[in-house]
Amino acid sequence: MSTHETSDKFVYHEPGLQHQFEDMGQQEESVSIGMWAFLAQEIMFFGGLFTAYLVFRSKYPMAFAAGSNHLNAFWGGLNTLVLIVSSLTMALTVYYAQKGNRNMQVILIMLTMFFGSVFLGVKAIEYTDKYNHGIVPVTGLNKVVKADTKSEHAEVKEKPCYEVSHGEEEEEYVNPRGEFQWKDCSLVKLAQDHNYLTSAEKIGYFSNGEIDADKFRDKVRIFFFLYFVMTGLHALHMIVGLGLMTWLLWTAWKKYYSADYYMPVEMSGLYWHFVDIVWIFLFPLLYLLGRHFMH
Amino acid sequence: MQNTTWVPLFPEQASTFAWQVDALYFYLIAVSIAFTIPIVAAIFFFSLKYREKEKFATPEEMHGSMVLETVWSIIPFVVSMTIFLGGAIVFFNQYTPPDDAMEIYIVGKQWMWKAQHETGQREINDLHIPVGRNVKLTMATEDVIHSFFIPAFRTKADVVPGRYTYLWFNATKPGKYHLFCAEYCGLNHSGMGGWVYVMEQRDFDNWLSGNVSGQTPVEEGRDLFTNKLGCASCHAGGPAQRGAKLENVFNTDVKLVGGGVVKADENYIRNSILNPASQVVEGFQPIMPTFKGQVTEEQLNSLVAYIKSLSPNAAAAASANTAAANKPVAKPAANTAAANKPAAKPAANSNK
Amino acid sequence: MQTQDAITPGYAMRPKLNYLNNGTTLKSWLLTKDHKRIAIMYLITVSLFFMMGGLYAATIRLELLTPASDLLETGTYNKVFTQHGILMIFFFLIPSIPAVLGNFLIPIMIGAKDLALPRINLLSLYIYWLAGGMALWALMQGGVDTGWTFYTPYSTTFSNSYVMAVGLAIFINGFSSILTGLNFIVTIHTMRAPGMTWFRLPLFVWAHYAVSLVMVLGTPVIAITTLLLAIERISHVGIFDPSIGGDPILFQHLFWFYSHPAVYIMILPGMGVISELISSFSRKKIFGYEFVAFSSIAIAVFGFLVWGHHLFVSGQSMYAGMVFSFLTMVVAVPSAIKMFNWAATLYKGSISFDTPMLYGIGFMGLFLIGGLTGLFLGAIGLTVHLTDTYFVVAHFHYVMVGGQVIAYLGGIHYWWPKMTGKMYSEFWGKISAMLVFVGFNLTFFPQFLLGYQGMPRRYAAYPEEFQVLNIFSTAGASVLGIGLVMPVIYLGHSLIFGKDAGDNPWLLPGLEWRTTSPPPTENFAVMPVVTWEAYEYGEESGLDVEAAKRRLAVEAAT
Ligand code: HEA
Ligand code: HEA
Ligand code: HEC
Ligand code: CUA
Ligand SMILES: [Cu+2]
Repeated sequence: MSTHETSDKFVYHEPGLQHQFEDMGQQEESVSIGMWAFLAQEIMFFGGLFTAYLVFRSKYPMAFAAGSNHLNAFWGGLNTLVLIVSSLTMALTVYYAQKGNRNMQVILIMLTMFFGSVFLGVKAIEYTDKYNHGIVPVTGLNKVVKADTKSEHAEVKEKPCYEVSHGEEEEEYVNPRGEFQWKDCSLVKLAQDHNYLTSAEKIGYFSNGEIDADKFRDKVRIFFFLYFVMTGLHALHMIVGLGLMTWLLWTAWKKYYSADYYMPVEMSGLYWHFVDIVWIFLFPLLYLLGRHFMH
Repeated sequence: MQNTTWVPLFPEQASTFAWQVDALYFYLIAVSIAFTIPIVAAIFFFSLKYREKEKFATPEEMHGSMVLETVWSIIPFVVSMTIFLGGAIVFFNQYTPPDDAMEIYIVGKQWMWKAQHETGQREINDLHIPVGRNVKLTMATEDVIHSFFIPAFRTKADVVPGRYTYLWFNATKPGKYHLFCAEYCGLNHSGMGGWVYVMEQRDFDNWLSGNVSGQTPVEEGRDLFTNKLGCASCHAGGPAQRGAKLENVFNTDVKLVGGGVVKADENYIRNSILNPASQVVEGFQPIMPTFKGQVTEEQLNSLVAYIKSLSPNAAAAASANTAAANKPVAKPAANTAAANKPAAKPAANSNK
Repeated sequence: MQTQDAITPGYAMRPKLNYLNNGTTLKSWLLTKDHKRIAIMYLITVSLFFMMGGLYAATIRLELLTPASDLLETGTYNKVFTQHGILMIFFFLIPSIPAVLGNFLIPIMIGAKDLALPRINLLSLYIYWLAGGMALWALMQGGVDTGWTFYTPYSTTFSNSYVMAVGLAIFINGFSSILTGLNFIVTIHTMRAPGMTWFRLPLFVWAHYAVSLVMVLGTPVIAITTLLLAIERISHVGIFDPSIGGDPILFQHLFWFYSHPAVYIMILPGMGVISELISSFSRKKIFGYEFVAFSSIAIAVFGFLVWGHHLFVSGQSMYAGMVFSFLTMVVAVPSAIKMFNWAATLYKGSISFDTPMLYGIGFMGLFLIGGLTGLFLGAIGLTVHLTDTYFVVAHFHYVMVGGQVIAYLGGIHYWWPKMTGKMYSEFWGKISAMLVFVGFNLTFFPQFLLGYQGMPRRYAAYPEEFQVLNIFSTAGASVLGIGLVMPVIYLGHSLIFGKDAGDNPWLLPGLEWRTTSPPPTENFAVMPVVTWEAYEYGEESGLDVEAAKRRLAVEAAT
């Protein structure tokens, strides 16, 4: 900041220095504070969703456990792994940027992008799976299955919902309007027998003392709604991240960064790590919590 | 309500804790004045005294004072704690219902209040209660959030879908007090209210066992229609109304959903009130609730009389047809009652 | 030192280019990165929204002239007050001081060429326009009728109006506010000129620092809440709708978790302006500078803990209610500290009553009443009676209109000569300030009485015994309306016919007064080095009082 007095148009400007700043130090400090403030903002943004999640998880633990069980922990776990590795490659990118090593930078950015894309690919597989099984919580956004005259499935329907064991609903089902499907309420029975229903659940899953499959389904739907909003927003952040990486790749290729100037790499890295961390919270909350009820 | 002063500043104090709320109010006014006077006086005094004598003068510099800062942080804090305590105590009284309270069930619905007494008596947009008894309201709503508010009792509580909320009071003065819906609930929010009647125990018992009213059937019908039963919340007229138009409907042919046509005679009107879903007017949803069990036979008669009075010409014509005299609206009520008799029978039986 | 010639007003050699005439094409405005131009564009948009909101207010008052709902149908009335609230809060009051005055002044006050992130600043303007356009579109399609609070399940399930579009508009608008806040935080941290230490910052800047914290940490929550609301409306998933398992009270918690801190977004900048006005027009260092500065931060921080005072009767637990009541009392104390320090600043000052100062003093009186009635509402036993009545309406108009709007007007008048280089008519300025003050009190004081009597808010029709006070209120609103239209006229007039203001018409020490009026694009011809304390009127400030007095004498003679 000491260059203030001499500053005017004829002063030599370092590459990447914007007009409002006096020197690179000031610019880098600004960008870095801005990034941290932005991340604080992001935390509050996801914070609202986590609050909603916690409220409903504590109200309807069984419905959430049922929903959780339906998610595939393998894909979720794989994605967690993929993201952790991508965080590593990202960190290395920053490291090599600081070293001014262009080639390693380019390679590592490409690796990071590769892992990011794998993550999104897996997400796409998972979403498609939900679509096929009719558990997207929005009517009309599920696979439409026209009524089938073959009557085998009628039997499944007649069983009380708590005897529909997990996985059975994966057979062909009828869903002419693409509605949210959920038949299995075995967990309610389980919880009822072991007496760990919450008071909200005692009202929320029953009509006239009987387990009400429809009412239970509505609660599971809340789980899937939160699942889609949370992972959806997270995926959106990943896509933005990939956009950033593309730009980074381009500029790194052009030898834009050096040991003196690598701020954009560092900031993109910060963003990338943040998005990873959000996933580190999402994964156990959505995929793992309540799994033990199944077995 | 009081009708003495032209600008009433306070609603009447008509419950046991009303005076506490008022006391708190006066305490806060006192606090406000106590803080306002010195501050405003200081501003005034300084403005006059230190008014600039010369442009761009540089008054003597002054440094902050730790003592002053401490004093004027601590005083407001202490004062505000007294306010908090006062508020908490009053609140505790307002929201802890005593055990011996008589219970009344309240259901809010866009846009009416339905009350049911322990004895089974129902009323709409009215609440009759005895004086000097602890009354506890157990409240629910069928649709959105409403809020049950009686200014004279200084209390209110939101009514939240999916759960029960409670309110209690002990009325101290017989009279008629406003009942409002205080939580915004849509189109007719401002019409969702009525009166609370606080009665001596004896009158209340009388009321429980049947209504006494000195009104003509049309008047009583109008009262039922606009206030007590809340018909007007759907049938008030105007383009936004949800219920069928009732003006000039009497004695005309009404098209029903499903293709039928019926003549709107007394029987039809009666049936529309008791079994609205059985004959739904074309172009409308079957949303009208049944009033079976909520209206007495007398009230039904009054309602029919009132609805007929909305169709002056047709009513006259009908009367002429039955060779009755062409009397002003109020009178044909007698005819109505007569005409209704036969119809009343079966319905009364089916009620049992 | 450079200060000498920068201060000599009027006589200094004026650079030909200032930020206003440096580029005159539309493109040079729309693609500008100059914080001052962005501020001017905000000023225009924000004023338009204020006028629209004001027209809705006029409609409300006309309807309430009579007890029956005769001018408007109830359905229309509901839309009118909803849209009044939404436009005024989200599109006028929240951006008003920060985006206009803050944007314009913060870089100048701290001696920077621009905000740290000028492109983000422009982006935030465009987001605001986009959101505003979307809101207007929704209003034209048919509007919303949920109240500005969007309570569920009415908003998710029962309302047939354009809740989703407006919800999304507010969602988008949130990002404008977040980016502005973010920019301010960064700027205040890194862009201060040499010598401009934290404790030499004008209190206006401190207040904006506090506001920015709230904007960055609070706004995302309302964003996600309105997003959930909008999605719930299309998808009918029961996050908020109790009929399928949702929780309507959760919505209220999320909404107020933002919207209570948001009321401090709506007052802290005003407090910042008032600190400047009081100090400048009594020509004294503000009393207890550190206390005023830190109380802003305290308000911002504690403001996050009291949202539950909007849910006293909503069915939250009794003990939660008491805790929130307690914290509400605590958060009032920092405001009290500010009040006292302002009053003490006047002591032994040299007080002049130019138009901005009239607003400053008006603010002190009105915010005092507004804040004290906030205590009424925070006293939980009393609120049970008062909530959702006109008492609340009166309270928040006292703090929002009597507080922030008055401060905003005061600020606009105060910095008008700096922003435009022109002086408005002092005579009309004073008249209008008085009309606003009188009209305002006449409009909203009766509403306290109405509220205690029990008149519920959001009522299109009301019992007859409330009419008299309502007539007063409507009459007051007419006076207020006239008072508010006047500045539009005389300020507009001054743009063309106003006399040259000079660089420092009031001979003040702040950095913004040490550059030319209107300032050049990069704010200072020579970047400043600060060697004086904030609000320094003594010798150290380098102000040439004698020269200024001589100038006055010359002016008086001609
Ligand atoms: C600019 C906006 C603004 C500001 C600054 C405030 C400031 C305060 N508000 Fe207000 N408020 C609103 C805008 C604002 N409010 C709005 C919009 C609503 C309604 C929303 C809706 O429902 O639509 C509302 C509603 C509202 C409620 C809920 C009412 C209800 O719906 O039931 C409450 C309850 O506690 C409350 C309290 C307070 C308090 C304690 C302060 C305090 O910060 C005030 C502090 C100031 C002072 C106290 C004055 C100065 C102090 C002194 C002179 C010394 C004396 C002090 C002491 C003894 C402590 N407000
Ligand atoms: C910034 C916030 C803000 C501002 C400035 C105002 C300003 C005003 N408000 Fe507002 N009001 C709210 C925020 C605000 N209000 C909110 C949040 C609600 C609650 C909504 C809800 O319940 O959901 C509310 C509700 C509300 C009600 C209660 C409605 C009800 O509950 O039924 C009333 C009633 O009197 C009212 C009146 C007024 C009046 C008379 C003004 C006056 O101060 C307005 C004065 C302004 C003008 C008159 C316009 C200025 C004119 C010009 C600049 C000139 C240019 C114009 C032309 C040339 C055409 N308001
Ligand atoms: C919730 C709204 C609602 C309320 C409350 C309501 N109605 Fe109705 N009413 C309707 C609707 C909708 C229709 C048309 C559909 C139908 O016939 O059921 C209707 C139809 C009628 C009809 C037949 C009108 C015709 O044109 O043939 C009569 C008579 C009537 N209502 C009387 C009453 C009376 C008397 C009350 C009060 C005791 C009342 N209604 C309360 C909604 C309501
Ligand atoms: Cu019910 Cu308002
Ligand atoms: Cu608040």
